[in-house]
Amino acid sequence: MSDDKFTAIVIGGGPSGSTAAYVLAKEGLDVLLIEKGDTSGSKNMFGGRMYSHALNRIIPGFWEEAPVERAVTKEIITFLTEDKSVSVICQNDNWAKEPYHSFTLLRAEFDRWLASKAEEAGAIVATSIKVDDLIIENNKVVGIKAGEDEMYADVIIAADGVNSLMAQKAGLRKDLEPKQVATGIKQIIKLSKEKINDRFQVTDSYGVAQLFVGHCTKGLHGGGFLYTNKDTISIGLVINISALRHNTIRLVDLLEDFKNHPSIAPIIEDGEVEEYSAHLVPEAGINMKPQLIGEGFLVVGDAAGFVLNLGFLVRGMDFAIASGEAAAKAVIEAKKSNDFSKSALLAYERYLKQSFVMQHLEIYRKAPHFLENERLYGKYPALAANLLTKMFTVDGGQPRRLFGTAMNEIKMSGLSLAKLAMDGWKGMRSL
Amino acid sequence: MLKIIVCFKWVIDEADIKVSGKSRELDLSRVAYKISDYDRNAIEEAVRLQEQLGGSVVAVTVGPPTAKQSLKDALSRGPEKAVFVSDPAFDSLEPAQTAAILAEVITKNLEYDLIICGEGSSDLYAQQVGPRLAEKLGIPCATYVEKIIIKDKELIAERKMRDGIEVVSMPLPALVTVMPTINTPRIPSLKQVLGAAKKPVVNLSAKDLEGKYEPCLKTTSLLAATMERKRIKFTDDPQDIRKVVDALLKEGVIS
Amino acid sequence: MPGVWVIAENSNYTLELLSKGLEIANELNEKLVAFSFGNEELANDYISCGADEVFVLPALNRELPFEAYVPLIVAEAKKEMPEAIIVCATQRGTELASRVAAGLNTGLATGCISVRVDKGNLVMERLVFGGAAVQTVICTTRPQMAAIPPGTYEKAQPREDRRGQIKVVAGNVETKVKVVERRKKEQEEIDLTEAKIIVSVGRGFEKQEDISLARELARLLGGEVGCTRPIAEELHWLPEERYMGISGKKVKPDLYIGLGVSGQVQHVTGIRDAKIIMAVNTDENAPIFDAADYGIVGNLYDVVPKLMTEIKAALNK
Ligand SMILES: Cc1cc2nc3c(=O)[nH]c(=O)nc-3n(C[C@H](O)[C@H](O)[C@H](O)COP(=O)(O)OP(=O)(O)OC[C@H]3O[C@@H](n4cnc5c(N)ncnc54)[C@H](O)[C@@H]3O)c2cc1C
Ligand SMILES: Cc1cc2nc3c(=O)[nH]c(=O)nc-3n(C[C@H](O)[C@H](O)[C@H](O)COP(=O)(O)OP(=O)(O)OC[C@H]3O[C@@H](n4cnc5c(N)ncnc54)[C@H](O)[C@@H]3O)c2cc1C
Ligand SMILES: Nc1ncnc2c1ncn2[C@@H]1O[C@H](COP(=O)(O)O)[C@@H](O)[C@H]1O
Repeated sequence: MSDDKFTAIVIGGGPSGSTAAYVLAKEGLDVLLIEKGDTSGSKNMFGGRMYSHALNRIIPGFWEEAPVERAVTKEIITFLTEDKSVSVICQNDNWAKEPYHSFTLLRAEFDRWLASKAEEAGAIVATSIKVDDLIIENNKVVGIKAGEDEMYADVIIAADGVNSLMAQKAGLRKDLEPKQVATGIKQIIKLSKEKINDRFQVTDSYGVAQLFVGHCTKGLHGGGFLYTNKDTISIGLVINISALRHNTIRLVDLLEDFKNHPSIAPIIEDGEVEEYSAHLVPEAGINMKPQLIGEGFLVVGDAAGFVLNLGFLVRGMDFAIASGEAAAKAVIEAKKSNDFSKSALLAYERYLKQSFVMQHLEIYRKAPHFLENERLYGKYPALAANLLTKMFTVDGGQPRRLFGTAMNEIKMSGLSLAKLAMDGWKGMRSL
Repeated sequence: MLKIIVCFKWVIDEADIKVSGKSRELDLSRVAYKISDYDRNAIEEAVRLQEQLGGSVVAVTVGPPTAKQSLKDALSRGPEKAVFVSDPAFDSLEPAQTAAILAEVITKNLEYDLIICGEGSSDLYAQQVGPRLAEKLGIPCATYVEKIIIKDKELIAERKMRDGIEVVSMPLPALVTVMPTINTPRIPSLKQVLGAAKKPVVNLSAKDLEGKYEPCLKTTSLLAATMERKRIKFTDDPQDIRKVVDALLKEGVIS
Repeated sequence: MPGVWVIAENSNYTLELLSKGLEIANELNEKLVAFSFGNEELANDYISCGADEVFVLPALNRELPFEAYVPLIVAEAKKEMPEAIIVCATQRGTELASRVAAGLNTGLATGCISVRVDKGNLVMERLVFGGAAVQTVICTTRPQMAAIPPGTYEKAQPREDRRGQIKVVAGNVETKVKVVERRKKEQEEIDLTEAKIIVSVGRGFEKQEDISLARELARLLGGEVGCTRPIAEELHWLPEERYMGISGKKVKPDLYIGLGVSGQVQHVTGIRDAKIIMAVNTDENAPIFDAADYGIVGNLYDVVPKLMTEIKAALNK
């Protein structure tokens, strides 16, 4: 390595960037990871749960050393109306057996740990440094600028997250449209371990992932989430920005209302808000995928839009990690022939296609469009909740047949059967 | 040519300290660490003097092995070498021990004209290590220094006292403890961060020390300083502001 | 009898320490020793205020700082081996105490917020982590040493029937540190610690002129303007006597209003004893909201005028 030239510079120390740096360093390549935060992850946020499979392939048994909170054994989907709720609960303790299915975690610690793994593997990690610009010569990205300093590399990997300025500077993508992003807000609420175990009926190391659809977003395109950590709860909302634009509702108020819902309030009672954060989520799936490869340049993770957002479920960590790995593998291959041109880096797309990243995004290709349907967030949750409350209500009146009740509720909700059938069909095909 | 030693401490970032429940116990499980605030001023001052007058700056820290992370940060701020004295037991040193360890390490390993410490560490804020170290080394010292001028083998320091400025002079070698107002620490650039990784570090452990430094102070308890507050939040709507004013009236604190 | 020593840089502070020293000496069953610096007359005052013995040290040459007494005190302590030494933790006192402790190879707790005696030990409490926690320590070596800030205790009162000894300690006060100049600072006339209402200026203010906004609010409420450390020490927008916190003033008003104050623990430590804390900050995660009774999430430039309107309406002003 000459003084200011690396094989690879990775911009951004989130999960995608740290993974790329880790894989490259393991292979013995000179790699520099640059993160603008004081430490990796210090400002990063997400809902709260990471599926394990992607990282487990790269760092087998990572849970032995990584700062994870609880292994999720209980999945709950809850439909909310203003005052009622219907939940579907699925419990599977096998999810807490190796290789653990998914973990709740806190990003500040997790990202810091993953960056330290890259450093241990030999990557040079520079924190508190913001990359300001790319150095482009003859249409090829050859380096970066940070403050007064310039640094060169054979290849630059943009792992700078949803707003990726770097991909824009490289000319690989445009500004995001409001429709293409959601905004998420979240609070971390401190609650004792015992209370969490009690209220969610789990043991110390087991956790709950709960997703909400319906009144929590006041019918807007989006959803709510709740994850149990060791002694805190992550709770928040994700709402599409264009949906929000046409409304005067403020996100903070929505979150407060959500927390006060009769189905939520008791489970977070006595909790103290420890942290509040907000962040964007790429929302449009594979349809907004920018160009991933340039001359001497790769885009990974959120920067590449690799997030699955089903309104009520956001999944991006495993995509970030797997795409970071795929990019690293492509660079390793390119290094062998010392050719870092766009065509040599095409291997990145190949690795992505072989992995779940492209496969899963492809499967859910139609989801964003389907999810724009407002009925999903207003009428349907209400329908489910009302139907079931009627069914469970015994008041001395004439019992009704379930079918009749259902038809009645559908009529009351103002939905036509045809619409319902249509949405059902679309949903089945796109989700 | 001035040989400068700067002493810095790797401390818990107090902003990350949480309190567990009502027990007043400190929850340190999720804390990050940092170079003690005023020690960043100490390092900056050392480097500025070196840039002005030539010479060398060595950064010295005593701490547990995990404090190794501090070296890159410290070195990226300009010193050309670091001395890291570590032992697992060094995570809870009291000032008498720290000063004694520093004194032995400095006497045996380093030449110096000037030693710079922070006014106080961000965690203990004992304000002791500097003056104790000077006493152990038998050199003159000036505390609460806001300005340093060096002429030949003489140091002139402006001390910022509660009732005004006191200018003192003393021969080198000497020790000063600096106030945060003495300078604004630079933010290391990318090249400085990368350069830091290549600078030499002398690693010493408790085994390399002759003295056995037992603590003179024993901590019998460490509890959060809590405060009962209502913690009610309002928006900036006029109605909300009126509610706040009503509450203040009701509390009887405005009239 | 080895004794309990009290050392302070002037007579007022010595009297404060004598009142506490008397209590400690009684509990430890030791004599109480005070230090007078170059002034034999004060020795009698100290005796009537509780000292059993007063060591009179030679007067200082004008070009020497108070800290120059360290070698003499260390030498004397090595002869007498006192049981405890209590020093007034002014800046000079803290340096002197640290160096005396180093000279005697003994433990010292600086910045004590309280000291009591238990089983022959001084049990000393002090703030750590910027005021986020209270550490209690005892000293396992002798003499045990504590440095306590001025103003912690009431001054001891003279009593008629007291008797004591005066010992003149001879020797040269020598040091390599010479004072070449002293520039006295003008003293502020207001004392923030007495204020009933304090409007506190933080870095949320954009320019020095804007402090007028805080002044108007303070005037309306009949309060004083205070600030955070950076406002005083870095920006010099307000005098240093006006900043509150662990290294600034500890205040106890009925109402503290923080405007654009983030509420770092070092600042909050100084306002802990306020009856009611109110804060205005744009960042709803600002730690000040955890320390406040009433918090308004908003821009101070927008909130303060509205707040004044409401106050005027409510108070009929
Ligand atoms: C509300 C919300 C809930 C979510 N919930 C989940 C969930 O439960 N499960 C899940 O798997 N995923 C979830 N996600 C998605 C997940 O957070 C992201 O997909 C993931 O963080 C992407 O990782 P990344 O490394 O690509 O980007 P990021 O994590 O955004 O990291 C980018 C990094 O780059 C740094 N950076 C940016 N610009 C620069 C620059 N110029 N110079 C230097 N450094 C720079 C940033 O500081 C940051 O550290 C959620 C997202 C949101 C917003
Ligand atoms: C050893 C040590 C001792 C210290 N001792 C003290 C001490 O005694 N006293 C002390 O005060 N500090 C002390 N400090 C410093 C302390 O840690 C903080 O840095 C300081 O208190 C922060 O001052 P601030 O709140 O004015 O500024 P900042 O922390 O910069 O906060 C400014 C706040 O204003 C808000 N804001 C910005 N614009 C607006 C607007 N338009 N309207 C409303 N809000 C706005 C921001 O959200 C932010 O929260 C000490 C530090 C150390 C390390
Ligand atoms: N563990 C340590 N290693 C090196 N220097 C230290 C250490 N602890 C304290 N110091 C120095 O002594 C100063 C005062 O510390 P303290 O006496 O703890 O307030 C600090 O600002 C540092 O310059």
